[in-house]
Formats: sequence, C-alpha cells, structure tokens
Amino acid sequence: MNRVYVIAANTFREAVRDRVLNSILFFAVILLCLSLTLKEMSIGDTAKVVRGVALGGTSLLAAVIAIFLGVGLVYKEIEKKTIYTLASKPLPRWHLLLGKYLGLWITLAAEVGLLTLFYTLVLATQQGLPSLGVYLAMVLLMAELSLLTAWATLFSTFATPMTASAFSVCIYLIGHFADDLRLFAERAEDGPFKTMLSILYRVVPNLESFNIRDEAVHGVPVPWSEVLWSGAYGLGYSAAVLAVAMIIFERRDFK
Amino acid sequence: MPLAIRTEKLGKTYLSGFLRRPFVALSELTMEVRVGSSFGLVGPNGAGKTTAIKTLMGLQRPSAGQAWIHGVAITDHESRRRVGFMPERPYFYEYLTAWEFLDFYARLTEVEAAARRPRIEALLERVNLDRFRHVPLGKFSKGMLQRAGIAQALVNDPDLVVLDEPMSGLDPLGRVLVRDIIQEERRKGKTVFFSSHILGDVEAICDEVAIVVAGTLRGQGTVRELIGQTADEVDCTFVIAGDPPGRVMRRDGDRVTVRVPSGNVDATIDAVRAAGGHVLEVHPNARTLEEVLLDEVERAKLVNEKRLGVLA
Repeated sequence: MNRVYVIAANTFREAVRDRVLNSILFFAVILLCLSLTLKEMSIGDTAKVVRGVALGGTSLLAAVIAIFLGVGLVYKEIEKKTIYTLASKPLPRWHLLLGKYLGLWITLAAEVGLLTLFYTLVLATQQGLPSLGVYLAMVLLMAELSLLTAWATLFSTFATPMTASAFSVCIYLIGHFADDLRLFAERAEDGPFKTMLSILYRVVPNLESFNIRDEAVHGVPVPWSEVLWSGAYGLGYSAAVLAVAMIIFERRDFK
Repeated sequence: MPLAIRTEKLGKTYLSGFLRRPFVALSELTMEVRVGSSFGLVGPNGAGKTTAIKTLMGLQRPSAGQAWIHGVAITDHESRRRVGFMPERPYFYEYLTAWEFLDFYARLTEVEAAARRPRIEALLERVNLDRFRHVPLGKFSKGMLQRAGIAQALVNDPDLVVLDEPMSGLDPLGRVLVRDIIQEERRKGKTVFFSSHILGDVEAICDEVAIVVAGTLRGQGTVRELIGQTADEVDCTFVIAGDPPGRVMRRDGDRVTVRVPSGNVDATIDAVRAAGGHVLEVHPNARTLEEVLLDEVERAKLVNEKRLGVLA
C-alpha cells in the first residue's frame, strides 16, 4: 500500500503544479473577498449573506475542481502515454486507480482546508469566529466531493474528458435535485416513466444529504447522527462507484 | 538454460471500428529469450513488435496463447518485479524534474530508501543528464527524454530490461550511449530485450534476433545464423594487372573483386601474390540483416497474395 501513497503524492504534486487549478483557487479567494462587499449592498442580516455566499461559492468551486481534475485522472495518463511506464510496474492496477483517486481527494481536502482557513480569517476580522456548523458543513462538503470525484474517476476510465465532464455535471445537477426527482417519481402515473424515475433516484446520489450549509448560515444546529449518517453514506457510495471504476480499469487495453 | 522470457503462441487481435472488425496484430508468437542475452526484435512498422512488448508488459491482455517472464505468467503483475521497461517514444510527467521523475519510479518499484539517492545520481550521470537534474521534463528535448526514459527503466536495477525502439529519436552520440548501456547491462549478466528499426545496431549488439513480419515470427536465431555467415563463398578484392582466378564481380582499373568458394581462398591469394598482386579485402559473401528482413517481408507478401488468390 506504500506505493498507493507514492502515486497519491505524485497526483497531488501534479495538481499543485497545475496552472488552471491555481487559477480556480485564486478565483475562489477573490469570490470570498467579494462576498464581503455584498454586505454593503444587502438588506437585513448582512452577516448571513456573507456566510451564505462564501459557503456556497466554496462548495461550487470545489465541485468544479473535483470534476475538472477527476475527468482527466485516467484519461490524461492514457493520452499522454504516461500510463505505459506506470501500468507496467509490478503492482495491481487497482492500486494505481486508488492512488490517483486518493491523490485527488487530498488535493481537494487541501483546497477546501485552505479556503476554510481563509474564510475563518476573513470572518474573524468582520464578525467573529464562525460557528461549529460551518466546519461541519465543510466536512460534509468533502464527503460530497468524494462521491463526485468517484463518479468523475469512473467516467474517466472509459470516456474522453469532454464526455466525462458532461456526465459528471449531470450527476452533480441531478444529485442536487434528487429530492425533487423522488417527489416527481411518486407523483408520476404508473408506467415505464415512473419506473425509470424511481430507478434514476436510486442510482444517482442524493447530494443534498450533504448540504447543511443553510443550517450553518442560519446557525441552526444539525444533529450529529445526521452528519455521521451522511458521512457513512458518502463513503459507502464512493467505494461502490470506485469498485466499478477499478473493474473497468483492470480490463482496459492500453494501445 | 534459464529463460527470461518465454512465449507460446502469443496472439493479440484488436477489434476496431464501429463494426468491431478484428485486426490481427500478433499471431502465434513462440519464442524464448535466454537469461543474460541481448535479444533484438526486428521488423517493419506495424509488424507487431510494439504489440508483443506491450502484451509482455501487461499493458494489453493477450487474445491467445501464453507468456512468462522469469517463469511467472504475464497475467500476474509479479512477473514484472525484476523488469525495467521503456516504451516507444516515451512521454513522461512534464511537471516533474529529472530527479523527481527517477525518484518516483524508484519508490514505485520499491528501491530501498538508502539505495535510492546513489542509484539516481549514478543513472543521471550515466545518461548525461546530471546537469539537468532540477529541470522539469517538459523542457527536455526528444533525445533527453529518451535518455531519461532509459534511466527510468534501469532505476530498480532490473534483471530484464525491455526497451521499445530505444534508438529512435537519438542523434549518433545518443545511439552510441544507448548501445554502450545495453552492452554494459549484458556484461553484468542482465537480459536486454529490445525492438529496433536500426538494423546495424541490432547486428552489432544482439546475441539473438527474432524477425516479426505482419504479426508473425519469420525467424529466430543468432545474427550469424540468420544472415548465413557460414557462407560458402567469399569475395576477395585484389590490386592486380590481369584477372585472378575466380568469378569476377567488379573491376575498377587494376582493382578486381572476385567471388571464390570458401575452400579456395588461400589458393587464390597465393596465386595473386605469385603474379605480383596485393590483397585489399577478403570478406564472406553474407547477407546483411536488412537483406534478410526485406526477403522475409517479400515472402510474407507472396504468402498473403497466394492466400488471397486461393480465396478468390
């Protein structure tokens, strides 16, 4: 498993040296700064607006980074032919995929961590330290990103980055409307359409179950059991998607 | 004799296009590579050399047959434990420096921590990249990348080194460097298995050669065996006024080249000297590896045409 770590570390290094990624991160920092100016323009509880925009912005940009890096995770190795030297080494292929996935996860954790730190500093100077709920929201954001990254990794094992991005964005969007999808399925008339909707609801992850950002913004406490349950759901679902990705990757020919 | 590589009717068929048409890239390749030998795989473009190498390196799954590296089936990743591999036209992580690049592969092949630094230092020096250790690979020229690739293949001090077209993209100096490295590895008792278009190099450094044409093995043996060095005839060039004994092949002023049976060489030279002539050159009338390869390509074409004729 030491070699899984070697691959993860290299994936992290690649991401850190990626100019596009750094630009997105820079953009996120700008957005956080901009959120401060919003309080001048908003009416009512300005502090909540700042918290809401900062949290929402962080989660959206982190999702963009997760998809952007995830879809190229395997494809880039194949396209740039670096896979030849990598996959010919004496280690099981699933170690490669796991290492790459973990590397990406560490990258995302570092990015979210950095943004959270920046957010804490900004907020501390403006309205005091953020509540625990904000940090829990960030932890659950990581669970959501694990899942999204797992899907992007799965798509990258067989599709081009363009197609894989489209698929991943679909998963992201449908995942955030999963509750509506369930409602829609329940109210639909019996028939193939209803069956299709219920299957879709069961296959697609419910990304809203990781969203406790509104509670964090408004200072509403979230029960620990809910946080733990969502975390476990994210972990289990990610593992299942990764397992499918590993099976596909194991069978691939690198021409 | 222990074997580094053994293949038995190894085959690879690709399904290409929308209709999944089969394309046979490699068919029934049976060969043996002895431990400690330098083995060259030669053939024209698209002959199946790279397919064979990729299959052996676990990058593709064989469609038929079996193969073993150091006695372990290639389907087991453990077969590549004592192997170093450089693919054709290597592309590497552009964001890594030469040092980081070698360190990454050394860690991946589980080179012990204490041995890593001296090993990487020695290899960078060996391939003349020590001055560029902190330069990212993205800034390397094609030849430098090729040399970095060879260093990467040797980083775990493998018993079997597999190189796909190691000479391509190299200037004459780079080629000499690669040739020296291959011979050095062989002297250390390592097995070197490589494919090449540059047949002169193959002739110079290989103990054994396999010729692959259109996905099938067309011959295997020592270079001597393949080019028929045990030629029955010898070409002798003399400086002499008249005609020396033997079949005259070429005449340029008083320089005459004659072809004589190998048993008559001494007598011919004696006769030329007795007539006041000088010996300039004596060499067996053997084919070059290039000629052997071209013959095999022609033969493969004929077989193919015949088969198509039968079908028609």
